[in-house]
Amino acid sequence: MAQLAFGRRHGRAVNITAASWLLCLLCHGLLAAAATVTHDFNITWTTANPDGMANRPVIGINGQWPIPTIHVNVGDQLVVNVLNSLGNESTSLHFHGLYMRGATYMDGPVSVTQCPILPGERFTYNFTIEQPGTYWYHSHIHGQYPDGLRGPLIVHDPKSPFADLYDEEVVLSVSDWYHDEMHGLINHFMSKANPTGAEPVPKSALLNETQDLSVPLQPGRTYLFRMVNMGAFAGQYVWFEGHNMTILEVDGIYTHPAEASMIYLSAAQRCSFLITARNDTSANFPIVASMDTDLFDKLPDDLNWNVTGWLVYDKAKPLPAPAVVYDPYEPFDDVSLVPWDNQTLLGEPDQTISLDVIMDNLGDGANYAFFNNITYTSPIVPTLFTALTAGDLATNPAVYGTHTHPFVLEKDKVVELVINNLDPGKHPFHLHGHAFQVVWRSEEEAGPFAESGVTVEQFGKVPMRRDTVVLRPNGNLVLRFRGDNPGVWLFHCHLEWHVQSGLVATFVEAPLEMQKTLAVPREHLDVCERAGVPTVGNAAGNSVDWLDLSGERAPPGRLPEGFTTKGIVALVFSCLSGILGVAVVAWYGFAGGAEGGAVGTEGTAVAGGVVAGKGESNGAGNKGGEGSGGESDGIGGEGDGRTGRGG
Amino acid sequence: MPDVFAVPVFLVTFREALETVIIVSVLLAFLKQTLSSTNPSLHKRLVRQVWLGTGLGLLLCLIIAAALIGVFYTAGANKWEASELRFEGAFALVACVIISVVGAALLRIGKMQERWRAKLVDVMGSSMAARAEGGRAGGVWAAVKRWMERYAMFVLPFVTVLREGVEAVVFIAGVTFSAPASAVPLPVVVGIAAGAAVGYGLYKGGSTTKLQFFLVVSTCLLYLVAAGLFSRAVWAFEQHAWQTLVGADVAELGQGPGSYDIDKSVWHVNCCSPVFNGGNGWGFFNAIFGWTNSATYGSVISYNVYWLCVIVSFLVMRYREVKGHWPLMKQKAAAVSVGPKGDDQSSRRRASREEGKGEAAVTDEITRVSV
Repeated sequence: MAQLAFGRRHGRAVNITAASWLLCLLCHGLLAAAATVTHDFNITWTTANPDGMANRPVIGINGQWPIPTIHVNVGDQLVVNVLNSLGNESTSLHFHGLYMRGATYMDGPVSVTQCPILPGERFTYNFTIEQPGTYWYHSHIHGQYPDGLRGPLIVHDPKSPFADLYDEEVVLSVSDWYHDEMHGLINHFMSKANPTGAEPVPKSALLNETQDLSVPLQPGRTYLFRMVNMGAFAGQYVWFEGHNMTILEVDGIYTHPAEASMIYLSAAQRCSFLITARNDTSANFPIVASMDTDLFDKLPDDLNWNVTGWLVYDKAKPLPAPAVVYDPYEPFDDVSLVPWDNQTLLGEPDQTISLDVIMDNLGDGANYAFFNNITYTSPIVPTLFTALTAGDLATNPAVYGTHTHPFVLEKDKVVELVINNLDPGKHPFHLHGHAFQVVWRSEEEAGPFAESGVTVEQFGKVPMRRDTVVLRPNGNLVLRFRGDNPGVWLFHCHLEWHVQSGLVATFVEAPLEMQKTLAVPREHLDVCERAGVPTVGNAAGNSVDWLDLSGERAPPGRLPEGFTTKGIVALVFSCLSGILGVAVVAWYGFAGGAEGGAVGTEGTAVAGGVVAGKGESNGAGNKGGEGSGGESDGIGGEGDGRTGRGG
Repeated sequence: MPDVFAVPVFLVTFREALETVIIVSVLLAFLKQTLSSTNPSLHKRLVRQVWLGTGLGLLLCLIIAAALIGVFYTAGANKWEASELRFEGAFALVACVIISVVGAALLRIGKMQERWRAKLVDVMGSSMAARAEGGRAGGVWAAVKRWMERYAMFVLPFVTVLREGVEAVVFIAGVTFSAPASAVPLPVVVGIAAGAAVGYGLYKGGSTTKLQFFLVVSTCLLYLVAAGLFSRAVWAFEQHAWQTLVGADVAELGQGPGSYDIDKSVWHVNCCSPVFNGGNGWGFFNAIFGWTNSATYGSVISYNVYWLCVIVSFLVMRYREVKGHWPLMKQKAAAVSVGPKGDDQSSRRRASREEGKGEAAVTDEITRVSV
């Protein structure tokens, strides 16, 4: 049975590589002659059990899951016709890492560049592929993609400077897997019952959305592995036993070749590298992807954070268990990479944006993520449509609302992003529409950049570029990019949980330029109309007074600091109750004395006492009523006691 | 301070010690008055009985306390740790009920001196009679009765001390769940010392007015404590439910956001916590006034409702003392229970009718002994 399973997986792996090989041949033959690649994606629920532990509903395409890998060439036109057949959820697609130059409305994030594709709706993504490299596509609404709507997007490049270095391409994704649907997980994650903001821990790790994957290798050949981390949360360490990697590309940016024995891919990061097959077929070798457990709030006992596959030279040979690798892992440092184009450090920034990453609880008790003091809340009018309809006011960040955390960037100016992590977690930050230069990345616990004393001289001269970079715990990060791509671009943490909790900012880049050059397809506006989403107006949907943001969507208020009115009322009332209560108790305690005096005058002390005593004897049946209120029969005693002792 | 000095423990031991001293002093005074001149040898013997009874009672208390502590810490300390809040709540509730019920009774203890005197006369009289009878009556019960009567001077302080002591032990066990164990010994020692000192001082000074003042003030304080305990019991149950919901993470939240349920919060200040970092003095306010830095609707409402009940109860009790019947009821009405003390009511009423003073009977050990 196991053999059969391996065989099946093996077979599929062969198919995948064969297909990509065929495509590659095709593109070599066509030599950059632009083609139109069309996909019809009927997005549906289906069932899958990739880790063999639990069947669960997953979001597939055309009834299949995993969803297809998109292969295109540089220069191609990619057309994706989406039909949302989910029935119960809206959707959208984001093509991660593609700049969408001149087509920001194809970028995919809902409430930013488009409206939600409601169940039953159609939506066409249609854009030109201008960048080579390894990308992926995924849903960009309501934390949906970890339910399965995620797949690699490979842009082959006939003119690649490395085209002669390899014989075949292998697409290899790593991902994390949950057994529950995101909807429920998010509801709990963003609730008062999770005040620490502990992110749900995945149930398992996957390679190509499965486990025990076999990747067939032929001796002596060289393979270009294109790896994507499509996970929701977990970064992954990846290594190949018995083989080294030669890194050639990260996030679509070619680099000077660099040797690595282990790499780290955060959620949404990509890396392509060469693996040269050995010359003999005497053994097969494990591929290991190991989830970064530092991210996990707790480690469940039953969690296997590793997933294993094999480089298979000979199907008849055993598939060896991977050797145990102990912490600390020492993955390749991506900041040490040098872009192939040797683009130097961008000059002094025209605009510097400083963002502090903070986690805090709001008035509903849930844990939110903040850039500075703002946690992202989506606007009523998608930001792009505000930018396109606000006229000259589009350069005023106010029209985009407070809670979208908008920054208006000027065309072709150099922007510097300084991100200070005031949180002890790792955050992979992703910028839509650009790759940025990582000009400085601190070690852990380095504190805010401004206080670290680092100067421009220490910045990389030819900084590594990519579109997703990891900010270290309590560290800082300095990024630069040129605002040469008019559009509305999100900057956010790519941990899907933190997108939900608001670790998102909006960059509105050259809005007046957008107004001049962009023509949003009619279909996009129709989808909005049918979804009831206005496409004119400021973030609050106000198109009369553009600076009136009343009605804007907002997160819950801050937790009260100290006493509120109700607290003061309650405290005062409680104090009065206490005082009144004590007064009554004291009054009762002393009241007996007055009466005692009165009673005392009416008879002789000892006799009265005896009578009282007998009374008690008679009433001794009142068991259980011990003492309560009963001592009042001694009332006559007080004055007598005094005389008695005096005698 | 709260980690070395639990205020409720002090108050309780103070009260119990004071009570014990007063009882002992009443007995001694009575013996001195009645026997020291007429029958010195009997006086000496009975005084020895009193002290023996007191001493044995204390000893037995200590043994019971030690046994209880032993059970706490061997049988279930770990298990209780897991649901400490539930136990804290339960014990706070028990302690609150004990204080509330006994508190009213204790208010009148000053006047009990005289009742004891009366009882003693009674006891002495009947024991003379018993002696005169020469033990002719047969049966075990009669023998016990005779023994009790013969050694009344031993039994009275013994039983009283035992009762006060066990009461204190149970109570202290209750409050220690919210206070560290280290907070118990000092207030116990100080409480006993202070109670004994005040009791002795009052005995020597012969001032019952001052005695009553002490008793009323300490009872008021105890009711404040009880109100706080009731509120805290509700708070602890709510917090237990909250921690169950949030899970283990709540420990790392300290007193910050998420350490409490925002939807139930009436006020929350990120300071002045009576439990966090040993309380820093706020534990004192928690012990006396039931202060919490994180009040809930439950804790605030229960605090106020508690006082409302106390106020109504005392007003009703006073009404009955003065008028001789419960409010809203005719004086000679049939025994229908509507008052707050339900079960005892009819017998009480019977007792009060018999006495014609509207006074309820007391069923403490002394009474039983003197039967």
